[in-house]
Amino acid sequence: MSRLTDQAYLRTRLAIMSANLMGKDRLDALAELPLDELETASGLDAISGSNQAARLAAFERALTQTWLDELSALLRPLGGPARRLLMQWASRYELLNIKALVRGKIGQLPNEEIERSLFRLPGFLSLNHDDLLNTDSVPELLRHLQKTRYQRIATQALRRYEERPDPFLLDATLDQQFYGELIDRAQQLASTDREEILNLIGRIVDRHNLVWSLRYRFNYGLQPSEVLYLAIDGGRVLNRAVLQQILNADTLAEALKRLPDSMTGKRQMPEQITLIEATLRSDLLLYARRAMRASPSVLTSVLAYLVIRHSEITALYAIAHARIHGLDGQLLKEALDPLHEAAA
Amino acid sequence: MRAGSDMRHVTVTMMREDLPRASLVLAELETFAPDDRPLLESELPEIPGSTFRDRIRRAWGHLDRLVALLGDPPHADTEPLLVLRREQLVEIDQWLADAWKQCTPCEEDLHQIEDDYQELHHLEQSLHDFAGLDIDLSRLQGGHAHLDMRIGSVPSDNLARLRDVLELSNHLILNVAGEGETLRILVAGRREDAAVLDSVLHAAAFQPLIIPESFHDNPEALREELGNRRAELDRKCEQLRGQLANWLDTNHRQFLRARQLLVAAEPYVSLHGAARSRGTLAALQGWIRAAHLPDVEARLSESLSLPFVLESREPRADERHLVPVPVQNHGLLSPFAVLVQQYGVPRFGEFDPTILFAVTFAGMFGMMFGDIGHGAIILLTGIALHRKIGTFTYLFVLAGASAMLFGWLYGSIFGVEHWLHPLWIAPMSDPIYMLTVALAWGVAFLTLGSVIAIANRLLSGDQAGALFGPGGLFSLILYLSLLGGLINLAQGDGFPPAATLVIVATLILLTGYQWQSSDTPYGERIFTTLIETFEIVNGYIASSLSFLRVAAFSLNHVALSLAVFTLADSMGTIGHWVTLVLGNLFIIVLEGVIVAIQTLRLEYYEGFSRYFYGDGTPFRPLRVGRSINR
Repeated sequence: MSRLTDQAYLRTRLAIMSANLMGKDRLDALAELPLDELETASGLDAISGSNQAARLAAFERALTQTWLDELSALLRPLGGPARRLLMQWASRYELLNIKALVRGKIGQLPNEEIERSLFRLPGFLSLNHDDLLNTDSVPELLRHLQKTRYQRIATQALRRYEERPDPFLLDATLDQQFYGELIDRAQQLASTDREEILNLIGRIVDRHNLVWSLRYRFNYGLQPSEVLYLAIDGGRVLNRAVLQQILNADTLAEALKRLPDSMTGKRQMPEQITLIEATLRSDLLLYARRAMRASPSVLTSVLAYLVIRHSEITALYAIAHARIHGLDGQLLKEALDPLHEAAA
Repeated sequence: MRAGSDMRHVTVTMMREDLPRASLVLAELETFAPDDRPLLESELPEIPGSTFRDRIRRAWGHLDRLVALLGDPPHADTEPLLVLRREQLVEIDQWLADAWKQCTPCEEDLHQIEDDYQELHHLEQSLHDFAGLDIDLSRLQGGHAHLDMRIGSVPSDNLARLRDVLELSNHLILNVAGEGETLRILVAGRREDAAVLDSVLHAAAFQPLIIPESFHDNPEALREELGNRRAELDRKCEQLRGQLANWLDTNHRQFLRARQLLVAAEPYVSLHGAARSRGTLAALQGWIRAAHLPDVEARLSESLSLPFVLESREPRADERHLVPVPVQNHGLLSPFAVLVQQYGVPRFGEFDPTILFAVTFAGMFGMMFGDIGHGAIILLTGIALHRKIGTFTYLFVLAGASAMLFGWLYGSIFGVEHWLHPLWIAPMSDPIYMLTVALAWGVAFLTLGSVIAIANRLLSGDQAGALFGPGGLFSLILYLSLLGGLINLAQGDGFPPAATLVIVATLILLTGYQWQSSDTPYGERIFTTLIETFEIVNGYIASSLSFLRVAAFSLNHVALSLAVFTLADSMGTIGHWVTLVLGNLFIIVLEGVIVAIQTLRLEYYEGFSRYFYGDGTPFRPLRVGRSINR
């Protein structure tokens, strides 16, 4: 990002878009609302029809469309590595779809149910879901994936799946490829953006690595070396040696004691992985908000905005789903803010 | 001339069981574009066929997989279409699911054979890798008191990560061979860490190569064994292919019937919200050209077993922008229709600019590129390439013929101006006259564009735009008054008071309208009103001057030809002719392209932007065959 006009454009766009971010208080308020009011407040009432599932799908489509419109507006002045970086970030929705498809097939869910859990994306960001849904088994799904740009991952996953059907291995490989590609693209940026953006991506990777490594090690009981293999390269604090030290601990409590101060901020970490995840997510969002407002690199501010927006869209999906399916308000609160609920 | 002016909105009310047949009849006619707005939602709240659609999708999924496995069996496209009934769909869906179940074991076996071929290949390569070392192969895997060795393959992407992680857990990769996506490796570590090694290798998609014990110390015997294994795999593969071919022979008729029924059901499936129902009553809504209505009604009467009602009406004012516009068959002008569509599809009722575009394009191209020889080459090139460029041949022919006509008027053949007496004028003989003609042409073009714009706006119900908008009646009057006044002034007769009066009056009207239609604060309102009015006046002046390029390029064409002759004259005999040929080629190709682009620019920016909305909806009729949006 060098042209001053482009930077001015992006800063102006970001100023407008960030004013529309909901923030925690507004999301909490939405979660409190009964269905009718939630519909009015979040725009669901604009979607007509009596079929709840169809309305929810339309609402999701509308949200995704808003996100895509914002992305298009932010991509407009960008070219080269900066554009490719943001496009890679956008492909995370497709990544989530592939994971949902694999999990659905492993769980032998009906196609309609799997389809409901997929993000509806435009063609340039999405694989042909019909082909993938119309498969009878995970190996067949993976063989279909071999005909797409995920050919390498699918080939590996197929080998592993035939030997030992662990869904998380495919998840981990997909994440490795996604973040690996993201970091590669970030490395190609001009020096003004590179350091700042790698810092932000590094924090995202650290959070991902710690949460999933603890899960693999202490919930799934994997060997430390295997967990180490599944971790993503490019973390800011947790390099492989530090991670190995943490994973060599025999218990979760001991592992948490070995976390570097730069990651915990010298706080006591909660001893439940979901709470650790929530703590790290909260830290990341705090950092992203700061980066969005004050980073000298406008590209980092844009990525930070997209990180925050993604988090808000996920929360909105959760609220809409919970309300339409009649989920208990307390459960919804716990899902949205486990830290606050745990403290209470 | 008015796009889609004979389109009618139709509603066919019928019994629900006739809906699939009706959709098939309409699809065969290819004259019906579905309208999926919920216009009838209150009377007919259901959208029929959602379970039908899911079943069709599943059935297609199985059929596609069978075709991928068995190949596409030959079938005649002329087979009569059958209407798929619900019970038939259930039956063929079940049949296809069973058929896929029967074929799946063969498919799995074929994949297994493919994997076995891969493994065999790696084993052969490994044998080749270690052939020069003259060692006992048994030492390369397992079998030691303290040492744990593994030989196998990993995806090349995983090697660096695997090496790093194995080093951290005190293992080593001793040998790496191969290239491309898969590498063969030899890993060593302590026997007590075997579990660690297993887990990491699994995560890295490591595939062990198993060497039978009896062959450890006998590479030759192993090589022979591998050859036998390959032959066995070939035999198995052939056997499986034979089984599948037999299956297809036995089920050929049923297979084709299933496909035929699925194809026939596609129109019904792709109706979505255009078909609605309540109980046994259903309705279909969409758009049809008035000329096709009698035929549609007759075909429905012939085909539907139960009564139906076909109602049609003209599009309402509020839905004009939704009316699909069929692409007219423009015959010789079809390449110009393509260029118009590059800009946009005419809105319903809008003036279709294709004929005007073709005539003015050819005219301006000829005027800028007037030369009998050059035009003839463009014309002949179009004819010679007609197989490759299809209907665009007509564009070359028309542009070439126009260039020849103007060449005759200018008296120019390959840039030579003394072989033929000009019927009108040689451009270089009076450049000012040429510029005046171009300007006059521009004024006529813009006036015609404004008249069409006014008509289009009136037809689409935008009276205010037709009177006060850019290119509207008052701006046109302002433009022509200003122009008349300036011409008078240039002729030394002063600026006529009548023109001044008209200009002031139209300016007041235009600014008044701009003022009234703006709801911004006063300061901003004054500013935008002045700018918008200035923009209208300035737009006309700039556009008029833009047409000077028509004359400029006609002069440029002569100047380029003169430059080529001057260069050629400075050379010897061979150089003279080579320069003439290359120079003329240069003019035809480079100047030809530039002139074509400039003409398009004038058409798009000075013409279309003034009078052509181009935001119409293209007519996409229901068709037989597989829909894209399954």
